[in-house]
Order: sequence, then C-alpha cells, then structure tokens
Amino acid sequence: MGKGGVGKSSTVNSIIGERVVTVSAFQSETPRPVMVSRSRSGFTLNIIDTPGLVEGGYVSDQVLETIKRFLLNKTIDVLLYVDRLDAYRVDNMDKQVVKAITDSFGKKIWHKAVVVLTHAQLSPPDALSYEEFFSKRSESLLKCVRQGARISKKDLQNFAIPVALVENSGRCNKNEHDEKILPSGTPWIPNLVHTITDVALNGKEGILVDQKLIEGPNANERGKLYIPLILAVQASFRYFFVIKPIQKWIKDDIARETKPSWD
Amino acid sequence: MAGQLIREWTAIQQFPAATQEKLVDLLGKLKNENVNTLTILVMGKGGVGKSSTVNSIIGERVVTVSAFQSETPRPVMVSRSRSGFTLNIIDTPGLVEGGYVSDQVLETIKSSLGRFLLNKTIDVLLYVDRLDAYRVDNMDKQVVKAITDSFGKKIWHKAVVVLTHAQLSPPDALSYEEFFSKRSESLLKCVRQGARISKKDLQNFAIPVALVENSGRCNKNEHDEKILPSGTPWIPNLVHTITDVALNGKEGILVDQKLIEGPNANERGKLYIPLILAVQYFFVIKPIQKWIKDDIARETKPSWD
Repeated sequence: MGKGGVGKSSTVNSIIGERVVTVSAFQSETPRPVMVSRSRSGFTLNIIDTPGLVEGGYVSDQVLETIKRFLLNKTIDVLLYVDRLDAYRVDNMDKQVVKAITDSFGKKIWHKAVVVLTHAQLSPPDALSYEEFFSKRSESLLKCVRQGARISKKDLQNFAIPVALVENSGRCNKNEHDEKILPSGTPWIPNLVHTITDVALNGKEGILVDQKLIEGPNANERGKLYIPLILAVQASFRYFFVIKPIQKWIKDDIARETKPSWD
Repeated sequence: MAGQLIREWTAIQQFPAATQEKLVDLLGKLKNENVNTLTILVMGKGGVGKSSTVNSIIGERVVTVSAFQSETPRPVMVSRSRSGFTLNIIDTPGLVEGGYVSDQVLETIKSSLGRFLLNKTIDVLLYVDRLDAYRVDNMDKQVVKAITDSFGKKIWHKAVVVLTHAQLSPPDALSYEEFFSKRSESLLKCVRQGARISKKDLQNFAIPVALVENSGRCNKNEHDEKILPSGTPWIPNLVHTITDVALNGKEGILVDQKLIEGPNANERGKLYIPLILAVQYFFVIKPIQKWIKDDIARETKPSWD
C-alpha cells in the first residue's frame, strides 16, 4: 500500500519477475486491488497490489473500503508500505495515510511492515552523500509512521520497522553477475525478499482480515457499557450536591422565618 | 525603500563565459525595449525546487535550501542590478500544506508583495513543479485555481512553467522527449482547467515550458555550461524564455491595494441585488397576486348572501 505514483505496481512486477500488473508513468492503472499468486515446489506467494490511498488532497475512504473487502478472510503476513526515496517532504498527508492503514488494520500491522523506498538509484542533492540522504529520508518517514500509528516511545523497540531500497527501472545498474544493484552494490531483489522473509518469521502474528476488522469500530457501540455508570454518577452527584443542600436551605429558611402577627 | 542601494549582480561573473555572454545579450535585449526592471514571482507546491531555481538564476546561494524541509517560511525578494538593469526575484513558500492549499501562505505572499512591490508590476510568473512527478491531481488544479483567484487569469499570459530535476532517466519504454512531452501536456492541461481557460482562448494562453537542473551534478558541455540531456545550456534557455514572456506585449500584473486585499466575497455581485429583487417582484409576486385575484373572482357567491 501507499500513495499513488510511488511505484507499488512496479515493485510487484519486479518481485514476480514479469509484468503482471499494468504500469503507466502518468496515471494509475490499478483501479481496484489485484492479487497475483505464484507457486513453486509447494510454496505459494500471494502479492496484493492496491490503488493509491490518496486522491487529490485526502485519503480515499472508498479505496480503503475496496481494499478491506478484497482482503476478507485473508491473513496478511507482510505489509509493504511504499514511498519514493527521492521525495523531499513528509507532511500531514503521509501521516493521514499511515493513520488510515492503522485504523483499518490495527496497530499490529506495523509489526509486519517493511518500508519500501523506490527510485533508489538516485543522485542525492548537493552537499549530501547517498548514505546521509537515505538515512535522513528513512528517519523522516519512520517518524511519520510512528506518529500516524500512535506508537509510543516506550513501544518503539517493539516496532523496529525495516527499510528496503528498490530500483524498478530497466536502467538499474548491474553487477558482474548481471544482478540489479543499489548504489551501494547490494543486489536489491534478494535484499528485499530477505527483509520480507525476516518480517514473516519475526514471531509476531499476521493480520487476519475478518468481518470484525472490516466493519471497524462502530462509533455507536463504543463505550455503550459506560452509559449506566455515567447515569449512576450523575444521579448521585445531583442527589448529594444539589438536592440535599437545597432541602437543607429550605429547612433553614423555614426555621428562620418569624411567626406571622396573626398566629 | 527609495534610497536603498540594490546590490550589484556580481554573481553573474561566476557563470562560465559562454553563459555570461548569453545572459548579458538577453539583458541588452530588454534594455533595447526600454525594460530596465524585471520582476519575477516564483510559486508552486512545496519541495519542487523553487528556492534552488532562484539560486541558480542569481548564481549564488541567496536563499536557504534544505532537502527535507521548507526553508522559506515567508516570501523573500532578491534584487540585483547590472549596468542600470534591475532584476527582482520573489521566492515564496510552497502553496500546499498537507493536503490543502494554504490560504495563510497566500495571504502572506500578497501582503509581502504589498511591502516589496506596492504599485509595481509582476512581469513574469515562474510556476514550478518537478519533471519527475508521475501524477497530476486535483491538488495541482487547486494550486492553479488559488493563483488565478489571487492574481487574476491574466497572470497566465505572463507565466512560464518550470520543470525541475530535468536530468532525469525516464521510465522504461519512454524516451526522454516522450516523457517530457507527456508530462508538460499533463501539467498544462491542469493549468488550463484550474485557470478556467476556455478552448477558444487557448491560443491566447500559449504558456512556455522550461527545463531546469539545479544540482551540482548537472552535466556540462565543452564550455563548462550546465546542459539539459538534449545538450541545451539550460540557464540561458530559461532566461531567454523569461525574456520572451516579459516582451510578449501582454501587461504585467499590477500589485495594487485591490490585489493585496483580495476579492471581498461580500462585495461580489452586490450590483445584482436590485436586479434580483426586480425579477422577484415582476416574475413571482405579481403573478401570484393575479392568481389570487382571479381565484377570488371565480368563487361562487355563498347561498346565504
């Protein structure tokens, strides 16, 4: 998942090794979620590509609903949260995307997440080395994820989200074995799959997308149990702090009243 | 401000000789047309390269740039003069803040323009965006709309669309020219929609597009000039495009009190009120009165009369 135009579909094609989902440079070609399944020697890989979560200035609830319905009764083992390495601002929009994912799938999804940064074969801005740029960019985005998912400072160690670099273009540099490599020399496809495997085997539960999760917290149901308690508190407050004092004042007033002359 | 000395444009000398020559020629062309001042307003979303472009044109680091955050909290005007010619460039904060166009930033821009340029004109607008962006969405249209609402549709007669990060490797299956062509088309279409330029009017609003590569890694030709992938030295090319727009015969945008205060929603359409009242009287009230009278006339007299 992620915003539009960041390279989600391209990354799926790179992992599978063939053009399984359509990609266009100028528009979204993913109008609805698509699951690509491949098996080999008894092992099955399912990758779900989704439409971008942001539409012209706001997070699209419609897209989220479509994704949730598509995932009904599936268990998500790994979430790839995709964004560009060569983006220069992290803003409230990014936080809203993270918040929307968290609200839809629960905070625990961030135990099974990998942040994927595309366009990795970047020439960094002046005065910054590639490593410095990558470091600051990751930090920036991870901070945004922590804020959007409301991960407290105490909880931080529990949510060590790995970051993987990806370069989907055909112009990606290659090593002597013809593997696509990052500027650091690391072959990035095995590196990404290794990171995904580590997260899958990290001991934390996958996210089961059941009916309850999809329906989401029903605002009407929330706190229903508190209603009798609140009424009881209000009633006792009124009795002890309002009614009794008034009764007392009335009694005192009666006592103070002088007897009428005609009694 | 009258007595303030404008700094000499010494940084022009740090450009390679071939670029300097072209820039001096262009300034000469302006002076021949009796244009002794050129005021350029730079606007766009955040993080697209507005401040970097200003630094590139001036030839020195006049405004702060950071890769990760906006360093332009308020508009800044940089003025340089050379041989009697004055160049003013106004850098502005990004117009979009986390999902919506910031009215506050727009207000800051207008009030700053009031301080820098009261009763003077904006000669050229540089509308900046990245070449290597892959979506044009409603947000972009909102930015264009906001600029149009604040400065008037005529600002688009004096605009240049500037695309940064020009030294891009295009996506697979597209040549650089194809990508540039589609990207420009996409963005220009968005500008036309946001500025409500009709199809009839299109010829009147032929907005040029200029490519820019602000990084130090920009490739250079044999004269040490920074060049685009096509081989064109981009700084003289940008200044040439700016000059053409400045001399295109259309009026600059006057920064007067009316522009600074902005359209007052209460004032808008005030003149229509009497007209609307008259229409209501003649076309609604009078017919209803007539129907009531007719209804009374048709009523049969009661038997006890």
